[in-house]
Amino acid sequence: MLEISIFSILAIFMLGGSFAMISNKQTVFSAFGFLVTMIGMAGIFAMLNNQFLAMAQIMVSVGAVVVLSMLTILTVNAKEENLPKEPHKYKWIIFSTIAVAPFTVLLYKTLTTMDRHFSEMATIDSKVLGSVLFSKWVLPFEILSILLLAAMLGAIVIARKKS
Amino acid sequence: MSTLSIVIAIVSFVLGALLALLTIPVLVWLERRIASLVQDRLGPNRTNVFGFRLGGVVQSFADVVKLLLKEEYYPSHIKTGRWLFMLAPVITFSAALLAFMAIPFADTILVDGEALRVQALPIDYGVFWYLAIGAIGVLGVIFGGWLSHNKYALLGAARAGSMVISYELPLGLSILSFIITYNTIDFNAMVQWQSGTFFGFLPAWGILVQPLASIILIVALFAETNRNPFTVAEGESEIVAGFMTEHTAMKFAMYFMGEYVAMNTASAVIITMIFGGYQIPWVSTEMMLQNFSTFAIALMVSVPVIVFLLIKWMRKNNTVRPTVSTDGGRNFETKVLSIALISMTVLIEVILLYLMFFADSALANSITVMLFQIVVFVVKLMLFNIFFILIRWTVPRFRYDQVQHLGWVYLLPLSLLNLFITAIIVVGVT
Repeated sequence: MLEISIFSILAIFMLGGSFAMISNKQTVFSAFGFLVTMIGMAGIFAMLNNQFLAMAQIMVSVGAVVVLSMLTILTVNAKEENLPKEPHKYKWIIFSTIAVAPFTVLLYKTLTTMDRHFSEMATIDSKVLGSVLFSKWVLPFEILSILLLAAMLGAIVIARKKS
Repeated sequence: MSTLSIVIAIVSFVLGALLALLTIPVLVWLERRIASLVQDRLGPNRTNVFGFRLGGVVQSFADVVKLLLKEEYYPSHIKTGRWLFMLAPVITFSAALLAFMAIPFADTILVDGEALRVQALPIDYGVFWYLAIGAIGVLGVIFGGWLSHNKYALLGAARAGSMVISYELPLGLSILSFIITYNTIDFNAMVQWQSGTFFGFLPAWGILVQPLASIILIVALFAETNRNPFTVAEGESEIVAGFMTEHTAMKFAMYFMGEYVAMNTASAVIITMIFGGYQIPWVSTEMMLQNFSTFAIALMVSVPVIVFLLIKWMRKNNTVRPTVSTDGGRNFETKVLSIALISMTVLIEVILLYLMFFADSALANSITVMLFQIVVFVVKLMLFNIFFILIRWTVPRFRYDQVQHLGWVYLLPLSLLNLFITAIIVVGVT
């Protein structure tokens, strides 16, 4: 009962946060909605007894993504009248929700049947995760890091002054 | 779970909350008195309750009452998002407060074969917790600064945000080299690692094992807490009060207290990671428990000496100039405090004597050691807070571009190099 109620509170926070994120005109409130959603998701990870993932979620999504997007918002500092006009915003939201509904059902079906294909896993602790990441998964990990490096180089090239 | 383990869990939670919250008035007082010391004046020392001044700590409580009773007003130009404007200081304050909760105050204590952690949140991933929760704090600054709709506040928030982002990299990298050295992400295990010796005679404190990473950690934590010499987010001559220009009364006080809590948390992290935490050098918890009678005798000798010196110092300083006729209750205060200190000493001696000769309980011994470690932790914490304050009042501020230059050009490559060398040495040794 306690678990269900905590889960519902977190879920309400996440739903509210994500709705605020897409429906707000001012980017700063969208960022706040994203922050609430991410913290709620970390809470759900923690409820699944996976504290490592919860902390990593907060560290990456909140500490890096939200702070960086807030810095962008600060730098751009768009005025109220310069924001794009969105007269049919709620219509868009409703119709796109209806459009993706079949895919949501598909996703739900997939996710609910998926757990049968996994063997029972012991609790993931950070030591096990680290050793698996650096032994079995070291090649995908390195490929991902090359992807990130390419993205960073691209950003530097774009931002550099043309001499 | 026995009753005792529940009691210990509750006590360590309350201790964490008290250490974080009750140090705020003490830190404000220390800040003002040490600033006065540096500038050759006395600082606030007159406020009293029935003649008790306690060196001026009472002034901080008067300040709190003033801030609580001040008129709250909102800038009229803030049309939307007033709730977030008010929430922003709370985000900063509570992030700093929560980050403190993962710090161990004493070693794990064995109760009925069950190892209990003496930390407010009994978690074994403290470093992660600190990095994750500590990073939320700057969001309060950014939200508050943006929603003030004020150029000064906006600039202050942008400066604070970009500085924290650039110093999070050297901070994370230096912490990574500590994680590699100690082979753990648990604060308590880090402290236990540091109880050994290094080269046979030096205590294995982080500052001696990893000097470069320690310096980078301290510098980066100074920047993270927005303390001098990194106070670029606020500056009288350039951007007024920075991000808190439009915040008044209790909202301002929240930012203000958040800064002190963050400073306290940073000192706690520094002493836990590189200054041996709750331990005194060369002496580990097992050593104290095994030679309990020696430990008790040493404590019984040292406590009266410290109390004697304290009383002597108080008698010398808690007086008025000879030309002033009334002493304003200072003699009375000295007398009462001396009696209190002496009776406390006698009580400690009696308890230690009882534990040494009459009670032969391992649990009582370990509780005594735990209390001793908590005292050591608090003393170290206060010493580091004083270090933070002394730096603020002796070193001039950096310019904003100098701050970024230091972070990206010096600290980041140095911490990367240090991480690299540490990894090579650790792999080579094992």
